[in-house]
Amino acid sequence: MAHHKKNRNVGIIGIGQTKHSSHREDVNQPELIHEAVRLALQDANLTMKDIDCVVHGNMELFEMVHQPDLWHVLGTGAYGKDCIRITTGGTVGATLSCASDNLAASGMYDIVMAIGFEKLQEGHTTGGITNMADPLWFRKIQAGALTGSSAYDVEREFGLERANRASLTYRIIMDKHACLNPNAHRAFGLEFSQIDDLIRTSPKLVGELKLIEMCSQSDGACCVIFACEQKAKELAPTPVWIRDHITVHREETFNIFGYDRTVPVIKTHKFAAEQLFRRNGIKDPINYFDVFEMYDPATWWAIDWLRDFFALPGDEHLKLVENKEIMIGGRMPINPSGGVIGSNPIGATALIRVAEAALQVRGNAGPHQIPTPVRHALASGFGGTMWTVMTMLENELNW
Amino acid sequence: MAAEQLKGLEESYEVEGKMALPYTYFAGRVGSKFITTIRDQQKIMGVKCPACNTVYLPPRQVCDKDFTDIRDNWVELSNTGTVINFTVVRYDDRHLPRKAPFVLALIQLDGAGTPFMHIVEECKIADVKVGMKVEAVFAKETTNTILDIDHFKPEAEKISIHALNAARKQWIPVEEPVTNEKRRGGKPDMATPVIITAALTGAATMKNQNPSVPYTPEEFAEEAWKCWQAGAAMVHVHAREDGGMATHDHGRIKATHDAIKDKCPELIVNLSSAVGMGKTAEQRISQIVAIKPEMASLNTNTMNFGIVERRTGKIFIDYVFENTFTMLQDFGRAMEENGVKPEIECYDMGGLDNTLLIARQGIFSDPMNFNFVWGVAGGQAFRAESFIAMMNALPPRANFTTCGVGTDEFPCIMQSCLLGGHMRVGLEDNIRMPDGKLARGSYELVEVAVQVASALGRPVATATEARLIMGLKPR
Repeated sequence: MAHHKKNRNVGIIGIGQTKHSSHREDVNQPELIHEAVRLALQDANLTMKDIDCVVHGNMELFEMVHQPDLWHVLGTGAYGKDCIRITTGGTVGATLSCASDNLAASGMYDIVMAIGFEKLQEGHTTGGITNMADPLWFRKIQAGALTGSSAYDVEREFGLERANRASLTYRIIMDKHACLNPNAHRAFGLEFSQIDDLIRTSPKLVGELKLIEMCSQSDGACCVIFACEQKAKELAPTPVWIRDHITVHREETFNIFGYDRTVPVIKTHKFAAEQLFRRNGIKDPINYFDVFEMYDPATWWAIDWLRDFFALPGDEHLKLVENKEIMIGGRMPINPSGGVIGSNPIGATALIRVAEAALQVRGNAGPHQIPTPVRHALASGFGGTMWTVMTMLENELNW
Repeated sequence: MAAEQLKGLEESYEVEGKMALPYTYFAGRVGSKFITTIRDQQKIMGVKCPACNTVYLPPRQVCDKDFTDIRDNWVELSNTGTVINFTVVRYDDRHLPRKAPFVLALIQLDGAGTPFMHIVEECKIADVKVGMKVEAVFAKETTNTILDIDHFKPEAEKISIHALNAARKQWIPVEEPVTNEKRRGGKPDMATPVIITAALTGAATMKNQNPSVPYTPEEFAEEAWKCWQAGAAMVHVHAREDGGMATHDHGRIKATHDAIKDKCPELIVNLSSAVGMGKTAEQRISQIVAIKPEMASLNTNTMNFGIVERRTGKIFIDYVFENTFTMLQDFGRAMEENGVKPEIECYDMGGLDNTLLIARQGIFSDPMNFNFVWGVAGGQAFRAESFIAMMNALPPRANFTTCGVGTDEFPCIMQSCLLGGHMRVGLEDNIRMPDGKLARGSYELVEVAVQVASALGRPVATATEARLIMGLKPR
């Protein structure tokens, strides 16, 4: 896969997030978005006058509002500006970031504002996702993001007890991180000593997939401001540079019948990571990156995907979790923010990954800032029929 | 599908699907208040951005142009507006609010800077036009949605009083003398135009009683202009401070007077020489001499002027309104010498007799203009026979107008109009419409007076005619 040539570098210069919650009944959709937009503008010390283009994204019809970007102008400030709407499913937040990077890099716009939002309380998420499945060609069995089968795979490979304990260890680490993040939706204060109880008591959804292991449905918004290199250097004391991003998806992953058996089924995460790291000359990603904000819709996927992203052999990925190396202060901190399991306003979720990774690079993430300097950060997005978006962030323009 | 199109597809089939996606959305605090105000008060409120002066309807928290927080900056809008665009819905669907065909229009309410969508009914679809004036019809039962305004209907056509006056001959004074005998003959001169005065504030009515009470010069000018549009030839003014207190400050009174004259040069401005409670004689008259309005009120007797609860007789404020013979004489002389025509305020027959007594000094120029005031706690309540007795006691050529406090307002002006006199209405005297709803401003009360005049077939006086009738000096 050819490395695209960037016309010019792009940096993140402003970040704003709302408090994420199951019910933001105190604000309507434009008002919710406005909170994030105002915070991002404040963070960048800009006004709407400085913004050249607004990129707006959420899940298609999850709130049952057709073309929500039009109503949301009341909160986005896009009045009279160039505005682009993107909906690529669960990855939409990450795609917003890629699009904003491309729009600024191309030279079309100097400063681009990306806005991801969701107010899941108001829609019918499962109703929307379930409609993906239909027993016709190319519309196979994937009904939303539930993944009992991954739990089964991990269980089969490593044994039920070890798999379950790894999954719950991951879950509790995420909760401990979420407890440090004031914006997080779910922060229960779980302890590692509760693992056995939770395995026993948490309601089972599909196979070993338990309620406690799933992500939430959240209301929330995230806004990130991107600027071309010159503007970023002028305007921001510590711009966070976007080194590269990659998008990979393949629908036939979910076609149980009929895919070409001569082509091996490679998971998109693994494929994307290999391509991205190869073209950037990164041979040892687990040592190269200082933090990884991973789109982790459920613990089983999370622990399985660590292996894909970092090309880890054997049970290295489980050991990372079991030895708590993924905690803040560990060897490879995953999701200091608490991740998707902590907060999941879907259209914002993948943009929050980029935003949180950028905050870590800037060094002012707040109580969940990791203690050692962050020079290289990774963010991923996931969605729909096996979409992967990965974004690499750097604190210096020296690659 | 036609048979040839189906050829080769006989063995194929379509899969039918159905999506049911229930949803809700939070209206927001501002949006919720917008709906509940329509529901509970039948009032349509917008928010105004102080930075760009846009009045948003439906209201919103933040100005989307400049991000100013405007959530508390409520303004009441008119129930009437203009269709700025529309479409005809010609298909039926479950989610539509009416059976097709019906009209969905973008309606910009008077005073709003943005349009909103609603249904236009009560007229033929073919008669709906861009630019047509419409008014809101509120729903009888609430749904807690924008359909608490049930629909808009074409606004009842209001013919401008100024257009009516332009279409008739101007009234010219008749040279023959008017005698008391003629009045007593029971044949009032219904051909003389009736002068409508709007008393915009008084000294006591506050915004918390009716938000349309003006305080600032700009608010006075706006209210006066609306009254002028509605048919008033004169406004009666007590200037206020920004906080609403009555003031005797010459600068403020002049600014208020001039703001009204700038906005409506033709309108007669009648300033109060009572000003407000606790003002000295000097404070009361010096401002009239300084500003020299065309007219000013002249009070005729020392009297109780309090606030007493009508139902229980309980006294809230006990106050003596001092108007000695000397003040009557000195104020009257000061006004006449400065070209200010006095409007002689009679709260009972005694006040009228006081004036006639002092008038023997030859202070007052002809014609004298009297105002019979009813319903002040300390003066007399409105009674038809008292009215006639006072009218019959007037000197020849004198004019009379009348005003009444609270519910006395409507019967007293009607009797005055019936007997050939003039009418004063406004928020100083009364804050409510005949049906008990708060008046949207003095202008709505002026509209009631215009209806009274038209029911009796009397023309409404233009300002020019009013000057001729009352004998105001040309300026």
